[in-house]
Amino acid sequence: MYWNKSYECMPREKLQELQLERLKRMVNRIYHDVPFYRNKFQEKGLMPEDVRSLDDLKKLPFTTKVDLRDNYPYGLFTVPLEQIVRIHASSGTTGKPTVVGYTRNDIAMWSELMARCLVAAGAGPHSVIQNAYGYGLFTGGLGVHYGAERLGASIIPISGGNTAKQIMIMQDFGSTVLTCTPSYAIYLSEVLAESGIDPETLKIKAGIFGAEPWSENIRRDIEKKLKIKAYDIYGLSEIMGPGVAIECECQEGLHVWEDHFIPEIIDPNTLEVLPYGEQGELVITTITKEGIPILRYRTRDITRIIAEPCSCGRTHLRINRLQGRSDDMLIIRGVNVFPTQIESVLLEIGEVEPHYQLVVRRDGSLDTLEVKVELSEALFSDRISNLENLEKRIRDRIQSTIGVSTKVALVEPKSLPRSEGKSQRVVDLRKI
Amino acid sequence: MIRQVSIFIENHEGRLNHILKILAENKINIRSLNIADATDFGIVRLILQETEKGIEVLKKNDIITTVTPVLAAEISDDPGGLSTLVNALTEANINIIYAYSFLPKKTDNAIIIIRVDDEVQQKAIETLEKVAAVNLLDRETLLLK
Repeated sequence: MYWNKSYECMPREKLQELQLERLKRMVNRIYHDVPFYRNKFQEKGLMPEDVRSLDDLKKLPFTTKVDLRDNYPYGLFTVPLEQIVRIHASSGTTGKPTVVGYTRNDIAMWSELMARCLVAAGAGPHSVIQNAYGYGLFTGGLGVHYGAERLGASIIPISGGNTAKQIMIMQDFGSTVLTCTPSYAIYLSEVLAESGIDPETLKIKAGIFGAEPWSENIRRDIEKKLKIKAYDIYGLSEIMGPGVAIECECQEGLHVWEDHFIPEIIDPNTLEVLPYGEQGELVITTITKEGIPILRYRTRDITRIIAEPCSCGRTHLRINRLQGRSDDMLIIRGVNVFPTQIESVLLEIGEVEPHYQLVVRRDGSLDTLEVKVELSEALFSDRISNLENLEKRIRDRIQSTIGVSTKVALVEPKSLPRSEGKSQRVVDLRKI
Repeated sequence: MIRQVSIFIENHEGRLNHILKILAENKINIRSLNIADATDFGIVRLILQETEKGIEVLKKNDIITTVTPVLAAEISDDPGGLSTLVNALTEANINIIYAYSFLPKKTDNAIIIIRVDDEVQQKAIETLEKVAAVNLLDRETLLLK
């Protein structure tokens, strides 16, 4: 089943013609409308006319999360705010979030692509979609929502959390599709089992899970426990939100909607483009977005491109499920967390040593983040309550700036490993 | 006024031993020990025979320490002895943050170490000096006991 067969199954030659035409138009726009890009082109001695083939893309400059931060909040928008109809944001590498804006056409495009994703995962107008992605600045909730409405399915905008209510609604409303993070899906399945509810009595047929990396093992686990088919979805707010890529019924890689995005794989160290099939960092160029078109965005996600034709009939390239990150970003219960964000919070608190370590665990099915902070002599107090208040202050500050709950533990000075790089800042004990 | 050494330790095995070893190796005698524990850390409170030297060797080993002023009160080791002391502070509206006993070697009386808020410390001293059954000790006298 397809939502838009003429595009989803477009012969590759025609698809590439379309991509080139759209890429040229996009490059022209950013060159003329965004000083940031114009400067970058000029530094490299490039003009928009230098893009004559898709192969020329590799000469063009990259865009990074740091660029988005440096141009915070609206510096990379190509249209005036009056044409922006929605603003989303995601975690930045420091205190300030990464901001993206959508025009009316952008929302229509996103809805179209999300509708394609839902159909690829077996949904249709008769589906009842229980959307347990968070609604808000995070793109997950509203992204799925608009796609479901475009498709004509019945969307239940329940948002994340409140598991008892999720289960009640799943039973009473007869939800047929569940959308949430994979770890929440496992958690739901465990609560169902504890409540003695047989998943066979539910109408749920499929789940579309994303916003955090997961493995084949987790897929099999979810499929067995919930008696559904589980599909991997990929997206990021800088590019659009959920729906950049989706698995089809073959469940062998995620189709990237190439009529709107051009994927590349680069070596994160040399920045050279790698041939299809080789693993590296995923780079995406948006070729139709109006609000904030992004040239060669370094996603930091590690994967490879699968160029072999897929038996589903879609001609769009696939990416393998994500294998990790080329930076130190952590995903905790769907929230992106950078160690540098924690560091800025600690520096703001002051007096506490910025020596910290993040320990990520999977407790049952939910991720927990422990922040170990070395205590300094200046903050040491002979009273237990003072130290507990300090822990609480750090915890509250992290919760309010990053939006993730943590356990804060004060530790003895010099007890945490010192390293040149950031690798030892993070101990990830999750097995995914 | 007695200078108590307070030490931050993580709440897991071996940490207390680590501190005690440092003191032992430097031949510093511990006259009293009290441990307060939270979930993942604790505070060890010590009265040392040689406070300055103790702090020096602990700091050299990257152990967080602070000196906390506490009171040492000698009372009779009989029923009601401690009650008289606490009662006097209560009537003066002075809150005891924590207290523990000191083990004397050369007296049959009991000795209690008391920590009150810094702002009311002087008031606590004046209050207790008026109580006949309580004998406030200075550092030298305490360490001789």
